[in-house]
Amino acid sequence: MTTESDARDELIDLAADFYDQFADGEIPEMTLPTRTKSNIEYDTESGVWTYGDRTSTRSANSVRGARKLLKAAYTIEFLADQLDEDRSSTLRELYYLSESWDNDEAQFSSQDESNDLVEDLEIVTGVTREDFHMRPEESGATLMGPLLIREQTRRGEREIHCQEDVGAGGYQIPNNPDMIEFLDDDIDFALAVETGGMRDRLVENGFDEDYNCLVIHLKGQPARATRRITKRVHDELDVPIAVFADGDPWSYRIYGSVAYGSIKSAHLSKYLATPEAQFVGIQPEDIVEYDLPSDPLADSDINALESELEDPRFQTDYWEEQIELQLDIGKKSEQQSLASRGLDFVTDTYLPERLGAMGVL
Amino acid sequence: MTSFQSTIGDEEGIAEELAEGQREISIAEFFEKNKHMLGFDSGARGLVTAVKEAVDNALDATEEAGVLPDIYIEIEEVGDYYRLVIEDNGPGITKEQLPKVFGKLLYGSRFHAREQSRGQQGIGISAAVLYSQLTSGQPAKITSRPKGQSRAQYFELIIDTDTNEPEIKADEETTWDRPHGTRIELEMEGNMRARQQLHDYVKHTAVVNPHARLELREPGLDEPMKFERATDELPAETKEIRPHPHGVELGALIKMLEATESYSVSGFLQEEFTRVGKKTADSVIDNFRDVYYGRELAWSPPRAHDDRDVAAAVANAVANKGKDATNAFSEGIAETVANNDRLSRSELAAIVDNVAEAVEGDTGKTFGGTVRENAVDAAWRAITGAAGDESGGGEDGGGEDASESPLVADAYALVDDATSTRKDDAAVRAMAEALARRFENLDGEAFRIPRDDLDRLVADAASFVAEQRDATFGETARGNVVEAFWSRARTVPDDPPKVTAIAGSRDAAADLLEAMRTTDILAPPTDCLAPITADLVEAGLRKEYDADFYAAATRDAEVHGGDPFIVEAGIAYGGEIPAEGTVELLRFANRVPLVYQRGACATTDVIKNIGWRNYGLDQPGGSGLPNGPAVISIHVASTNVPFTSESKDALANVPAIEDEIELAVREAARELKSYLNKRRSMQQRREKQDVLGKILPEMADKVSEVTGRPRPDIDGALARIMNNVSVEREMNGETVTLVVENHSDVNEQLEITDIVSTEPTDLSDGTVVDMDGEWFVQWKPEVPSGDERELTYAIDGDADFEVSVGGVETEKLTVND
Repeated sequence: MTTESDARDELIDLAADFYDQFADGEIPEMTLPTRTKSNIEYDTESGVWTYGDRTSTRSANSVRGARKLLKAAYTIEFLADQLDEDRSSTLRELYYLSESWDNDEAQFSSQDESNDLVEDLEIVTGVTREDFHMRPEESGATLMGPLLIREQTRRGEREIHCQEDVGAGGYQIPNNPDMIEFLDDDIDFALAVETGGMRDRLVENGFDEDYNCLVIHLKGQPARATRRITKRVHDELDVPIAVFADGDPWSYRIYGSVAYGSIKSAHLSKYLATPEAQFVGIQPEDIVEYDLPSDPLADSDINALESELEDPRFQTDYWEEQIELQLDIGKKSEQQSLASRGLDFVTDTYLPERLGAMGVL
Repeated sequence: MTSFQSTIGDEEGIAEELAEGQREISIAEFFEKNKHMLGFDSGARGLVTAVKEAVDNALDATEEAGVLPDIYIEIEEVGDYYRLVIEDNGPGITKEQLPKVFGKLLYGSRFHAREQSRGQQGIGISAAVLYSQLTSGQPAKITSRPKGQSRAQYFELIIDTDTNEPEIKADEETTWDRPHGTRIELEMEGNMRARQQLHDYVKHTAVVNPHARLELREPGLDEPMKFERATDELPAETKEIRPHPHGVELGALIKMLEATESYSVSGFLQEEFTRVGKKTADSVIDNFRDVYYGRELAWSPPRAHDDRDVAAAVANAVANKGKDATNAFSEGIAETVANNDRLSRSELAAIVDNVAEAVEGDTGKTFGGTVRENAVDAAWRAITGAAGDESGGGEDGGGEDASESPLVADAYALVDDATSTRKDDAAVRAMAEALARRFENLDGEAFRIPRDDLDRLVADAASFVAEQRDATFGETARGNVVEAFWSRARTVPDDPPKVTAIAGSRDAAADLLEAMRTTDILAPPTDCLAPITADLVEAGLRKEYDADFYAAATRDAEVHGGDPFIVEAGIAYGGEIPAEGTVELLRFANRVPLVYQRGACATTDVIKNIGWRNYGLDQPGGSGLPNGPAVISIHVASTNVPFTSESKDALANVPAIEDEIELAVREAARELKSYLNKRRSMQQRREKQDVLGKILPEMADKVSEVTGRPRPDIDGALARIMNNVSVEREMNGETVTLVVENHSDVNEQLEITDIVSTEPTDLSDGTVVDMDGEWFVQWKPEVPSGDERELTYAIDGDADFEVSVGGVETEKLTVND
């Protein structure tokens, strides 16, 4: 991707655009793709979902717009300085840091606002947040499996084997996964797991060792670093990716953001999404087939399922069938519900059966 | 009840006993019992009411004399009493009138006049005199100086409460510094607890009488309250009008009938009422005939195939006229009759007369009254099928040949037509028969029946049919049947009774009144009213309220119960008007402020029911009096303002008047709304300017800092954002250019003046004026929306400039000099 000085130049160029608009007697503005569900399109070439042609304009024409652009100018300065000094900071630090700015109008009123602004800047400059040296608050995935990597840390290079050199918790990826290099591996496939409990179960049962599997812990809705490392594992090691999550609409979204890209970061889909990723389960079909303990769907679940039916990312035969089935049976199940058949059921029976059926094993 | 019944026998003479208790009550007692109605129920209120009555009188008197009112009010403490002095510059009152005007309840010139005036009942000022006399024992002291007299007349006057007659205690000549006018001095019990109401009354009087000068002194005031006049224009003089036919009551009508010199009803109507000419009088009289005599039912004449032969019947009834004449006569009648769809007996008589005259002309035979009458009878029998001697008819259900009667056939057609198709044919036939029998039983042969009787007759027939046939004729069906017969019945040609006959019969007078009310008559003329006019309503508010905005509306005259009225409304907003609490509501009737009973007043109800949020005023809960810095004034002018009581504090809820009040208020409120909207948008624009004016330079600073370039010029961007008109000076060597850019969405007509310290040359249009070493360069460019103009001139060397721009609101203007 971009180098640090490239990133800085892009930011300064954006400020220069504002400058020129002022100088020409025009109203400063910044045009962005509209970031809504209705404006994402399937890119046939890359197989991911990216923003469509609709754009929104942040213009200083209104008080609101002017405040946004003022904040953008201050944030540009901050980021440029940070890159100059080779420092980094978290999104949350940016939010608090704005309090120290000399201008009340430029301060952020919530962290959502500063997060959104950083995303805006990513889109307009074409530079990723990581290259601005902005870290998210939450940590990325942990990896467990037969993989040897080299990580560039502030304290020098480290070579780490993700099975032998790590504790039970696995290898914690850095915020910028592009700082690591894959050296060697003995991986047949990667399994991205939603919940910590299930990850621990797989590790305890030795699933990674038995099946030469890289277990990636997604930690709920996956952070960008998690999605990035997943894509790199797929692309660079050429192994299939399977996503193992709960059987409810929120978990389908987790799968969706791994496979298709998220609506908020659709500008980075080509960089983050792994369209080849497959969904293991829990499928609504599994709830029926394995007679899993379940909870009834809440109203919010039903709304989420219906909204997924309209989501262009989920408009495939497979998903329409599964979602309609779930609406029909009115049930949802967690990953851990497999424990109702015994602690080894998941590693001995369920996963081998499912992965076999999917052609991964 | 029962106990009373059981003792009635024992208590002999209870009626006499009760009668003993009844005696004529004196006027003083009457006053004592009714003083709340007259506005004197407490000492505090009595004082305000007395001032109010005296000032109302003074204003009326001065205006009538065509003098701009100059009124002085003084209240003084005198021992335990208050002394009230009211002076005006009116025409004074003649010696003969004076005691009556001030001294006798219910005397007044206004009571019978149909003209807008402040006082109407003649109770007011004499009630004040009586109140002062009853509470302090002091006579009223009155000084009057008619115009042109060198000396004034001084009276002391009391009212004899037994006889309701004034008594003059003193009558002497005196001197007075006013050249003409009246002064009344009353001493009364009272207190100043209603000081606020008193001040309000005087202030509001000033608002609604911008042509009057008022001064108030009272013990609580350090300085007298003075209200100067805002206009020298007297209210338009009002004309007295005759009553409108829709506005009289039965008693009044009978009195007018008794008093009139007219002989005929038509003459009476035209002479005594407004808006009644010959045509209107005729329609009133037609309606009167219908009510008084009833209409004559009309029937279809026999058709060709009928065996009822009008010609033969007439021929039989004529003797000794010779064959030719008889034939001409009978066939002439038969032919004309056959040309009519329906005929009443009176119409038939008219036909017979016409034909008789024509045949007389042709044949030389005379068809006298008796012959004609016989012919009418015969023809009428042939048309209606009434068999002369048998025509008494029978009871319901009798008479085999009832179905043969042409009346039944006619009635059947009408009933069938008037009722729904679902009605059973037998029931319709039964109804037609029942109706026909009842019509035959009417007095006389002409089938005369008033509308009320027709209603009853149909209802009776319907209930008979319902009983016999189990077929119901509901209210609607009956109404339709009545309407079918009535609309086909004919107004009788009889002359209406003479005025004296009507005057002598209460029923006839009631019929006439009903006829007057049902006739459409033009609304009364409005020159009997003197609205303040929208301009002066506004001037009045402007004078007494220091506000930012004023609006006023005057409606066209409308009529309620024969009395014309005009509603006016005014609104003042902002400025010094207190913003806390509800708006101030000023109520006026015939230019008199209404001070008490605000809650009972129709004006208050109307204001409360208007959705003020629509008009930009705060209204908690969406109804009730709105809040905010506003004054709403409402004036109702009428020849007869409907009050809820004699004390004239509150307007009664008359829908016609309420509607007009609402329309007037809404009209003024619409102006308020557009003012507030404009103000709000200006305010938003100012706020936006303030915020953007701060943010954008900061943003410009920041981007210049980040890019390492000098601070950019942001004025163009600013002007564009504000939809502004920007005027910017550019200097290029010796050329000065003023660039005018119009970023607003309307064309702007500007007036730009540049004051230059050296002499400018080479002007691009514009004019230049030398003013003591300063040069005023002026342009008046029109700049279309989105366009720009360059105004240039040249100077030699350095100069100071000062540009000023007119023709555009300052909020919209950005000047970079």
